[in-house]
Amino acid sequence: MLQEESDLSLIIAQIVQKLKGSNLYSQLERQAWASLQRPEIKLESLKEDIKEFFKISGWEKKLQNAVYSELSVFPLPSHPAAPPEHLKEPLVYMRKAQGSWEKRILKSLNSMCTELSIPLARKRPVGEQKELLNKWNEMGTDEPDLSLFRPVYAPKDFLEVLINLRNPNYENGDSLSFRTHLGLIQVPLKVKDIPELKECFVELGLNIGQLGIDDSTQVPPELFENEHVRIGQKVLAQQDSAAAQQYIRQGSPTALRAELWALILNISSQPEDVLYYEQLKTNVIQHDLLVDSLIYKDVKLTASNDDYYFVFEDYLYQVLLCFSRDTSVLSHFAFNSASPPKSYIRGKLGLEEYAVFYPPNGVIPFHGFSMYVAPLCFLYHEPSKLYQIFREMYVRFFFRLHSISSHPSGIVSLCLLFETLLQTYLPQLFYHLREIGAQPLRISFKWMVRAFSGYLATDQLLLLWDRILGYNSLEILAVLAAAVFAFRAVNLMEVTSLAAAEKKNHLRELKSMSLDDIVKIHGLFWLF
Amino acid sequence: MSRVLVPCHVKGSVALQVGDVRTSQGRPGVLVIDVTFPSVAPFELQEITFKNYYTAFLSIRVRQYTSAHTPAKWVTCLRDYCLMPDPHSEEGAQEYVSLFKYQSPSVTFPKWLSHPVPCEQPALLREGLPDPSRVSSEVQQMWALTEMIRASHTSARIGRFDVDGCYDLNLLSYT
Repeated sequence: MLQEESDLSLIIAQIVQKLKGSNLYSQLERQAWASLQRPEIKLESLKEDIKEFFKISGWEKKLQNAVYSELSVFPLPSHPAAPPEHLKEPLVYMRKAQGSWEKRILKSLNSMCTELSIPLARKRPVGEQKELLNKWNEMGTDEPDLSLFRPVYAPKDFLEVLINLRNPNYENGDSLSFRTHLGLIQVPLKVKDIPELKECFVELGLNIGQLGIDDSTQVPPELFENEHVRIGQKVLAQQDSAAAQQYIRQGSPTALRAELWALILNISSQPEDVLYYEQLKTNVIQHDLLVDSLIYKDVKLTASNDDYYFVFEDYLYQVLLCFSRDTSVLSHFAFNSASPPKSYIRGKLGLEEYAVFYPPNGVIPFHGFSMYVAPLCFLYHEPSKLYQIFREMYVRFFFRLHSISSHPSGIVSLCLLFETLLQTYLPQLFYHLREIGAQPLRISFKWMVRAFSGYLATDQLLLLWDRILGYNSLEILAVLAAAVFAFRAVNLMEVTSLAAAEKKNHLRELKSMSLDDIVKIHGLFWLF
Repeated sequence: MSRVLVPCHVKGSVALQVGDVRTSQGRPGVLVIDVTFPSVAPFELQEITFKNYYTAFLSIRVRQYTSAHTPAKWVTCLRDYCLMPDPHSEEGAQEYVSLFKYQSPSVTFPKWLSHPVPCEQPALLREGLPDPSRVSSEVQQMWALTEMIRASHTSARIGRFDVDGCYDLNLLSYT
C-alpha cells in the first residue's frame, strides 16, 4: 500500500538524516576511504565490495546498532499535518496541564531567586574557578550553607497535579457502577490488562528462567545460570544491540551488566565523548548556576543519607553539574511534553537573539533527582562514561517520570496502570485502604517516580532496571508496585490509617524485600 | 504528480437522533458533517486529512454524478472506519488522520476502499522492502526539505549555551 511504503521511506529518511550528523558517519566515511587500499576492493564492484568489507569488519553491526538505537528512542514520524507540539503530546488538555505545572515551577524558581538575591547564573571569578578545579574530585567535602534553599518541588506536589487532571470531553456520570475507577487518577488513558501484560512481558513467565530468582543458592547453576552467562558473553562478543536487549529481559549477570547496558544504549566511549565531557566540566568551572545549589541540596538530602550511595557523593556532583550544562539534552524535548525554561540576557528582555534556555539543558531538578544517577555509580567508575550512560537513560526513560503526558510509559499511565491492577485483582484491599484514607497511589507514587531507586536494595534495583532496558518500557514499575501491595496484602488489610500503612513493618522496608520474594511467592501477577 | 488543496465548505455537525433532542435522556452517538465543494470543475479526490476529536468510527458517503442523464446517487465509500480502538479511552482521540484513494486503474471515479485499520499495526514489510531507488529518491526529497527548514531557522551554535560568552540572566520568562 502506498501509505505504508511512504511511512517506511519517511522513517528511513529521518534516521539517515540523524545519523549523518553523528560521529559514526564520519568514522564510516573514513573507513570507506581507507578500504580503497585493500586488494579485495575492486573498482568495477566498488559498492558491493565496500559493503562486504563493512560486514566483515563489524562496521555494519555498529551501523545496525545505531539504527536500532534511533528506532528505540525516536517516536514514529507523525502525520505530516501534525504540528511539533502534537509529537510532544497529542492530547491538548495534557499539554495545557503540563504548561501550567511548568509555570508554577518557574514562578517558584524566580521567587527563590529574588528572595535570596541570588542570580540564576553567575560567571565565577578566576580565583573561584581555580579553587573549584582543584576540588573537582571531592566536591562532597564542601559544606555550603544550603539552609535557605528549598527543592523546587517534591513528588507529592506533582501527585496533586496529576490527581486534578481532567479531560474536558469525558463524562463519568454521577452514579457508581462496576466501571467506576476508584483510584486517584481520573483520566481515561488506555492501560494494559493482565492478558496484555502477559503477552508483552512473555520472558517474565514462570516457565522461563530469571536471574534474581533462578540463580539463588537453592537452584543448581547448571539448570539456568551457567547457560545464561554463556549466552551473555556471546551477545557481547557479537556487539549486537538488539540481541542484548532481548537477552537482558531475563536479567543480566553482574559481571556483564555494565557492558550490556552500554551496548543497549549504544554508548561507546570515543575520544570525542571524553572531550565533550571535559568541555562540560569547563562550563561548570566557568559559570555558577542557581540549579547547582538545588543539586547540592538534593544530593545532601537523599543520596548522602543512603547507606548504599553515600560513597558516590562526589561522582553525583560530577555528573549532575555537567548534565545541567549539556545543550545536547535539549533535542529530547521534541518528544517530551515538557519544554525547556527560557530566559533572556540581562537588559535584553524580549530580544530573540539574546534568548537562552535555563538551565542550558532545560531540566530543573526536583527532590530526589540525584537518585536516578546513584545506582549507575555501581556500574561505571569512569566519569565520562558514567555521564553518557546517565544522560541516555534520562532521555530514554527518566524524563517520562516527571512530566505530564499520555505516553504508555509516562507517569500518568503508570499510576493508572497501578491503580487498575490493584482495583481489578485485589479489590478488597483497594477498597479497605480507600476507606481508611490510605489511597494506595499515595504510598506507591514516590517509588514509581524514582524508578524504585532508594527503595529497593541495589542488586534488586539493577535487576529491575535490566527489565526497563530490555522491554524499553517503564510499565514494569507499575506492575512491581502492585505486586508489592499483593505481597503485603495480609498485613495491609489490618492497618487502620495511612500512617500505619506506611509504617516500618509493612511497606517502608522495601529494601529488605527481594524481587525473589515478591516474584516467586506471588508469581508476580501471573497468579492474580 | 502535483496535488492541490480542493476548496471545500464544511458545515456544522448535525446530530442524528430519533425524537426530541431536548427531552430525551441520552446523548446522540452519531453526528453528520456535510462537506460541499463550491468549485464546479470535476476533480479526482486523492486524500482527505483531518484532526479527530473523540470520534470513534467514521463513515463517508459521496454523492456521485455518473452521467448527465441519470440522477446523482449516494455511494458509501467508507463504513465504520475505526478511529478509536477503545472509545472509552484516549487512544486515537486527538490524532491526525489521512484517508487515501486506492489506486485502481480500472475505476474512473474515485472509489474508496477501507484504509487498513491503524490499530491492527499492519506489518510495514508485508509487501517486502520498498524499491531502494524509489526510497533514495524520497530521501533526496526529504533532504531538500530538511535543508530548507534548517536554513530558515536561526542556527543555534552547537554546544554553547551563552550569548557571546555572556550568561548573565534576568529571571525566567513565562510564555
